[in-house]
Amino acid sequence: MSFDPIPYDLFDALKHFLTVFGSTMLIAVVVCLLVGVLTRGAKGIGDVFFGILDFFNQIIHISPRRIWSLSTLTIRESLRQKILFVFIIFAVLFMFAGWFLSGAADRPDLQIQSYIDFVLKAISWLVIPIILLLSCWSLPEDIRLRTIHTVVTKPVYRIEIVIGRMLGFTLLGSAILLVMGTVGYIWINRQVPESVRPNLVSKVPIYGEIKFTDREGAPSAGLNVGDIWMHRSYIEGATKARAIFTFKGIDESDAINDELNLQSSFEAFRTHKGNMEKGGILYQFIFVNKDKGLRVDTAPLINKEYLENRLKINRKIMHESEDGKEKVEVDIFDDLVDDNGNLTIEVQCLEAGQLLGMARSDLYIRTPDHAFLSGYSKAVFGIWLPMVLVIMLGVTISCFVKGPVAILTTMTIVLVGFMSKEYMAEILSGKMQAAGAIEAWYRLITHMNSQTPLPDGPVKFMIGIVDLGIINFLWLCQQIIPNFGIFSNMREYVIKGFDVSWDAALLPGIVTTAAYILPCLIVSFYSLKLRELEAK
Amino acid sequence: MNTLTSEHRKLAYIIAIIVLLIPVIWLGMPSTGEDGSGGELAKLRVEHELGESTLGDVDPSSASMNFVLLGLRGIATNLLWMDANEHQKKKEWAKLRSTVDSIILLQPHYMKVWDFQGWNLAYNVSAEWDAVEDRYFWVKEGIKFLNEGVTRNERFPELDWKVGNLHGQKVGRSDEWRLFRKFYKVDPDTERFENGPDPEINPERLDNYQVAKEKFLFANEKELKHKQHLQMRMLFRASPWHAQFDYANAMQREGKFGTQRTDAWDQGFEDWTEIFGREEFITPKGSVVLEWSEPDIENLAKRDNVSKEDKRYWTGRYQNMVNYLFWRTRAKSESESDTIDAHKSLYDGEQLFLKAEFDGAKAELEKGMALYASVLNKYPSLMHEDLAIEEGLQAIILWRYIHELKGLKLPESFPLKSLWIKEQGRVPSLESDLRRRFGIQ
Repeated sequence: MSFDPIPYDLFDALKHFLTVFGSTMLIAVVVCLLVGVLTRGAKGIGDVFFGILDFFNQIIHISPRRIWSLSTLTIRESLRQKILFVFIIFAVLFMFAGWFLSGAADRPDLQIQSYIDFVLKAISWLVIPIILLLSCWSLPEDIRLRTIHTVVTKPVYRIEIVIGRMLGFTLLGSAILLVMGTVGYIWINRQVPESVRPNLVSKVPIYGEIKFTDREGAPSAGLNVGDIWMHRSYIEGATKARAIFTFKGIDESDAINDELNLQSSFEAFRTHKGNMEKGGILYQFIFVNKDKGLRVDTAPLINKEYLENRLKINRKIMHESEDGKEKVEVDIFDDLVDDNGNLTIEVQCLEAGQLLGMARSDLYIRTPDHAFLSGYSKAVFGIWLPMVLVIMLGVTISCFVKGPVAILTTMTIVLVGFMSKEYMAEILSGKMQAAGAIEAWYRLITHMNSQTPLPDGPVKFMIGIVDLGIINFLWLCQQIIPNFGIFSNMREYVIKGFDVSWDAALLPGIVTTAAYILPCLIVSFYSLKLRELEAK
Repeated sequence: MNTLTSEHRKLAYIIAIIVLLIPVIWLGMPSTGEDGSGGELAKLRVEHELGESTLGDVDPSSASMNFVLLGLRGIATNLLWMDANEHQKKKEWAKLRSTVDSIILLQPHYMKVWDFQGWNLAYNVSAEWDAVEDRYFWVKEGIKFLNEGVTRNERFPELDWKVGNLHGQKVGRSDEWRLFRKFYKVDPDTERFENGPDPEINPERLDNYQVAKEKFLFANEKELKHKQHLQMRMLFRASPWHAQFDYANAMQREGKFGTQRTDAWDQGFEDWTEIFGREEFITPKGSVVLEWSEPDIENLAKRDNVSKEDKRYWTGRYQNMVNYLFWRTRAKSESESDTIDAHKSLYDGEQLFLKAEFDGAKAELEKGMALYASVLNKYPSLMHEDLAIEEGLQAIILWRYIHELKGLKLPESFPLKSLWIKEQGRVPSLESDLRRRFGIQ
């Protein structure tokens, strides 16, 4: 698994939002006041005040009836623009997809992943661009053709026009998504071979925290065997090296038929060939309860690499007493879960000279599965959220620029948000050793390597100043552009057979989308209010 | 101002369309598939073998994808290639496989893409998996991928050769060769393939080296029409016959010393001397044949107007390049009963050693060593070949180890002593190989 579901810190996110939003609003108000005072004197202050009040006034007096009329108008306009033709492309894709996908890798378990990946990607790649075009094009076209006058001359607020557009597109997009999602679900169910149909579920995992010890039993970070991707750390076989997983809040409700289900996907690294015919390296789990001084081993297990090793352990385990004379029965939930509700499991590699690699997400407790529909519908919801975000951004941007410019701007934001957020974060956090843009350009044309310091003088000073400006602009983009990567994570869960995690995927997605509602409304309201609607 | 009426204008448009259609049809009419049919462009395409269909089978999805991307397929391929690297780095094998398939849709006629990715699947990805069954699955994926490359590209003998090499070397010479060769005939997915081989890999239920030979023969056939850029021509064309030797040798490695093995060596000798040996290769002094007689030299010298000495010199030089005489001698000697007995005794000695029956192992090894020494005496040229030397040295190492284990004194003289003294440089690495193989601490 390439993903590591880390719970979302909602409080931190709210703090960040308030800081960015609050400071932006503050700067905007200060600038408006300055401009107001400079252009209109003391009256300017009052104008700014009334301008701000107008937003709240319109928000308070919003009429759902008027918004609904505007929304239905938006939907009707879109239908007239033949938006439903998208279903033809969709149908063609699905009619022939089976031909091309079935040969991808003829292992049925891997094929399921290809099918789900295809369906979710096809839906999002069809819906999001079309909705983007519609939302960016609609308002500027109305202004250009002056059909907007048929609306603005009626007793409606500007904010209602904006909300009506956003709601209309959202409803239309939702309906399209619902149809596509349903067809996709039926298609996946029909395509998946009978033999792996039981795999079509949404697993509900509980992940723990991981720690390592070295061959002497001392705490360590685990070994690195030279993988470029340092996701997993390795423990050495037949030594005191262990990976210690601690699962919090474990109780009986996490059992399936009175069994604890442990699922692992460890990676093997052999320093010698060993016995290849066994099918994998031997390892075992050791349940540890320090409060009661208990250490209970499982039987040796064979690690099947890149596959799911599912171990079902009856909650009652027979275990040798301390003196080794008799067998004692222990209950996993009553005896091995400690006083704080934590279950500690140590993983030990049993073969000398072989190593076993793991990361936090490689061992989890599998609780009762949810239906595949549960995970799938959440993944479709994971397409709905960015769609709504794109609508909000598209409508907002189209309030102050013309159609083609709005499309380009929104598309840039979406593409950067999808592809470059991680890259930007790496540059800004200093994780990526990169010189500023101008410095890099200077080094390029003067053939200077990156290790040589720039010669002191005005050139260095100027380059420093400009690069600082660029980096700050990048920082600003990083704060403003939404992280669309959050939404594609939801797809990964379903592809890998998991239910979409609430706190690691759904919550950040919902919060990210919600965070843009107020800023978009404010920006679009003032843009439309100040825009000269007569101008083409 | 335009004075034409609407009808006149339409008439003018129709005439213009017809006039413009004439050169379009003359240039661009599609070919019907027959020679000389179609427009000028179609004829040029056929003449220079530039059409999709002349390059190999056409995949409609690939052709349409390239059409849709216009000139951007290079960029798209680069992006996909980076994706594939990323998937490989993160060990997302299903995604890697489907990305590689997408790359192929965009670059169906670029030989290096097939070559690299086929090798990547069969060697790199396969080695990342721990269970031998899984490793074999990825070797098969590499072979299937290259097979697809072969059907889509009829002009690259290199691809056929690579397929042959995967069937031969990858299956037959990996660390896991014993299991791979077993899986080649009975796929580990017994349920799906009903206790038989994967039909896409081995439809006729043959030995992996026999299939490799077939593939190399295809490569040789194509090589007559299209030049290969893989290796020296003579080495390239020797591949099917080497596969035949490997087939015979593999049976020996598995302890099969029956008539099938002897027949395989006989067949190898025949192929080597009568087909490969009689093929003409071009040297700076005209053609030579490796299996020559005096009249051959005379005829060829006369035909190419060069001296007989030149012909002899170049024939000898080319024979050395492919180790022609060694393989000739080896194939011949392997059909003789002494050689078979020597191999069998050495093999049996090893097996007894594995079962810790040291007395029996010692006796078998001594018998084998004596027979092997007599074979080497009879065919001294075998003493220059790695495989032959190593077989003898391994036997001595085991034999000496048994003495050590049992606290026996090593005799002053023993068979193969001269080989032991001459090849001391190879002993340390062979000893460590044997330790690994037999689990000697």
